[in-house]
Amino acid sequence: MRALDGIDLDIERGKFTAIIGTSGSGKSTLLNMLGGLDTPSAGSVRVGDTELAGLNSEQATIFRRKQIGFVFQNYNLVPVLSVWENIIFPISLDGRKPDKKFIMKIVKLLGLEKKLDSLPNNLSGGQQQRVAIARALASKPSIILADEPTGNLDSRTSDDVIGLLKMTSQEFRQTIVMITHNPEIAAMADRVVRIEDGRIVA
Amino acid sequence: MNRKKSSGFRPVPVLAGRMFRANKGRNLVEMTFRQTGYDAQASIRGLTEEQAGEIAAHPDVKEIGRSIVLGVAENESLAGQSVEIRWADESYAEHSFALPAAGHLPEAKDEIALDTLTLARLGIPCELGQKVTLEWRKDLNSEELTVSEFTLCGFWEGNQSSYASMAWVSRAYADEMTGGRLSADESQVLGLFMTQINLFSDRNIEETMERILADTGNTELEYSVNLAYSPEMGAMARQESLPMYLGMILVFAAGYLIIYNIFQISVTADIQFYGKLKTLGTTTKQLRRLIYGQAGRLCIIGIPAGLIFGWLLGSVLVPVLMGTMEGEAVVSVSLVIFAGSAVFAAATVFISCLRPARLAGKVSPIEALRMSDAGEYRGRRKAGRRPGNASIGAMAWANLWRNKKRTVTVICSLTLGLVLLSCFYAKNAAFDMEKYLADLTIADFTLSDATSGDYTGGYDPHGDTLTESLVQELETMDGVEAVGHQYSARENWQMDGKTLENVAAFYTEDKLADWEEDDSHGAQQLRAALETGETSAVVYGLDGIPLDTITQEQYIMDGKFDAEAFATGSYLLAVGPSVEPGETYPVLPAPSVGSTVDIGGKTYTVMAVVYPLNPVTQLASDKDAPDRFEMSFILPLESFRNTWPDHTLRQMFLNVDDAHIHQVQAYLDEYMETVNPGLPVTSRQTMAEQYEAETRSSAVMGNAVSVVIALVGVLNFINSMVTAIVSRKREFAVIQSVGMTKRQLSRMLAAEGLYYAAITLAASYLISGFAVGVVIQALVAGGFTTFHFTLLPLAVCTPILLVFAVLIPYLCFRNLEKHSIVERLRME
Repeated sequence: MRALDGIDLDIERGKFTAIIGTSGSGKSTLLNMLGGLDTPSAGSVRVGDTELAGLNSEQATIFRRKQIGFVFQNYNLVPVLSVWENIIFPISLDGRKPDKKFIMKIVKLLGLEKKLDSLPNNLSGGQQQRVAIARALASKPSIILADEPTGNLDSRTSDDVIGLLKMTSQEFRQTIVMITHNPEIAAMADRVVRIEDGRIVA
Repeated sequence: MNRKKSSGFRPVPVLAGRMFRANKGRNLVEMTFRQTGYDAQASIRGLTEEQAGEIAAHPDVKEIGRSIVLGVAENESLAGQSVEIRWADESYAEHSFALPAAGHLPEAKDEIALDTLTLARLGIPCELGQKVTLEWRKDLNSEELTVSEFTLCGFWEGNQSSYASMAWVSRAYADEMTGGRLSADESQVLGLFMTQINLFSDRNIEETMERILADTGNTELEYSVNLAYSPEMGAMARQESLPMYLGMILVFAAGYLIIYNIFQISVTADIQFYGKLKTLGTTTKQLRRLIYGQAGRLCIIGIPAGLIFGWLLGSVLVPVLMGTMEGEAVVSVSLVIFAGSAVFAAATVFISCLRPARLAGKVSPIEALRMSDAGEYRGRRKAGRRPGNASIGAMAWANLWRNKKRTVTVICSLTLGLVLLSCFYAKNAAFDMEKYLADLTIADFTLSDATSGDYTGGYDPHGDTLTESLVQELETMDGVEAVGHQYSARENWQMDGKTLENVAAFYTEDKLADWEEDDSHGAQQLRAALETGETSAVVYGLDGIPLDTITQEQYIMDGKFDAEAFATGSYLLAVGPSVEPGETYPVLPAPSVGSTVDIGGKTYTVMAVVYPLNPVTQLASDKDAPDRFEMSFILPLESFRNTWPDHTLRQMFLNVDDAHIHQVQAYLDEYMETVNPGLPVTSRQTMAEQYEAETRSSAVMGNAVSVVIALVGVLNFINSMVTAIVSRKREFAVIQSVGMTKRQLSRMLAAEGLYYAAITLAASYLISGFAVGVVIQALVAGGFTTFHFTLLPLAVCTPILLVFAVLIPYLCFRNLEKHSIVERLRME
């Protein structure tokens, strides 16, 4: 059984690409491979000049925290860290100094200024997802990978979140690849890729 | 998951329980019974048979045992062992632990029953029908020996710790010897009629006895309460078993903690599952039953396994631990113990899962879906924003306190184990074998005349046990480092006025009254001496080891010892009172230093007063000594030999270098086998070994308890670390997905473990330091101990704990790594 088969996909820098498809069609596998979380059993994944299939897990992790910002459906924040600490977490893991001015700009954009000292469990779903977006943006990655970022949110909040994502990516010139079930969100993308049974159909 | 976790730990509490139970049978009271020689509550001596009948008929008396004493066997091969020739009825024999195990009590006039020790001494095989010849004296004041020949009609296992063996003869023989006359006073041993009185209750023995005597009109009779029933003994027994019970409680508490921990963890891990069950309509009751069912299954698997394991361990270990203590094997493999252990273990399990069951029952479906072991972190940080503070160390620290209760529990149980271990160790280490042995023996080997320690018959200064050839042979053996000799003599001595004054001043009325309490006879002797000034002077002639030892700085109570001046023969040493060494008194009950003393027709000046060192001065009185107060003096060997040229060597002391100890021991063994089986030999090594064998069980017990507790603590620690990691699988995948490398993650986990260990160790060092330095030091003060402050067990445990703290997270992490990040991210 192959999760993905015969995929040949180029994603353009600086564009918003939406991936749609039914459950189990292989969307998440595709996204994980783009982010270096998964490695293909055969074939190649290139991000910029980096061949991801050739990286070991340690190199993949470092690539990830420098190049990729992940936004998950269930936020995946670290419960023991405050909002601020969560946002700068990948940067400090990399041993870098966070660009405070830049991050505060994101924080303001996302409306999180008053929540910086809170712990994730004390925030609402929408707030948590905004923290996750801030975290994804904070390290100035070239690519944002989002796996159904609005799956757990009501429609108003999800519009806000998508709007924010789009806005920030334009502001910081980032590539967005987003999985979604929501046709409205897909409609906001520059390009829509449809996957069925591990193959790209459109 | 929880079954795997739990079943491995089951045997721990069961095993611990077993070890205690096996030990319980051998308590102090029982030992004392054996030493005092009987287990009845009270005894009366010197009464008539009619009086015994009256007492026996009293309703408060359960049973009465009767015996008639004839004398003490004086066969040469029995020297040093007291064998009392007596008639006794069955009750008396039984309660004296001397009922024949083979054969029967004597019936015919020439029958006799003996214990195996006596038979061994006499060189008679343990077979019924053997001929036994005993020599004894009807009148201890005359030399006339009675020699009787008997046929062995019964024997029983002898007991080394009891001070006298019994030789039961028939009533017919006894009546013939006494001529039917019973002696009522204790001046004559022959025909002394003795009874043991068994009461229904061990309480208020004295009151009961007073009442019985009053009711039967025999108030003039004096009774004595069995030492083993005295309140002091009860207190001692309690003191002895207290740590044992305390340890038992601790082990069960620790067992409870770990089982509770396991259930708590498994319930929290499965809480979402329970929540879902509840959404589907499972009632609280049903949920609880589910958990109890789980516990039940655990018991069914774990308890039999634990019992079998415990039994195996018990049957192998306990005999080893109990060492050489004589007599009955206490490894009881009784059904009650097993049933008890099983019930206790089951109870522990069910009590342990009470709270987890309630937790599972109370869970609200919605909450359960949100809650997980890892997700309970809902605190609010007080500290303000600290940019860049998402350091690995800080995260690890925060992770540690996500489940505060569990962390505290684990730290407490680990600390408890370590502290106990340190305390037990420090207490055992404080025991000073040298001090203990110094009280018993002052040389590697001490050989005595056969009558030297004969407290009943008295010492014969013309004894021939230590023959010239033996002494010469020993002194010229290889490896002999030092020798010493002791002679002794006794003569009547009239205290001079000053000495009398000293004695009277030392033994105040208070002290005399105290003395009277535990030794009325000795106190009476002193009172008589104070009145008339008549005493016995016991004179020792010493050289070599005993002289060098008793004149050591710490044993000089008054005056100053000058070896050269002493050797001139114009000085002597007076022996002081047996008080705590090191204490000073304004006046000692001895001739003052500098005064003169006339002994053996010569005049000596008192050079110093020395401490009455047991191995030198606590010896039997001379056989012809009148019943009076004794004062001891020490002369140089030469002066002594000049005065009493015909006295033979009483004790010989020998120090041998370590390499030759075995050789000398072998020579002595051979000598005792081939020449003189009755040669009393005390070897320092044997004594040390004997002591170690006797105390091994309690030392091992104490250490075993603390090791078990520490082990439970370690298991708790492992358990808690493992669950903390396993339940955070997904979270780790999350932080890995946002860029934490494996190295960083392992470092974080190791840091968590190290924090754990560091807190535990810090607490352990602090508390142990206090407990050992203050509590243990106070506890071991006095006696044969020298306190050293030591935390050695902690020092040993420190690296072990630190290694565990790093190793466990590492292993868990390796296990986690089997699943890819993506797989783990998908897990709920």
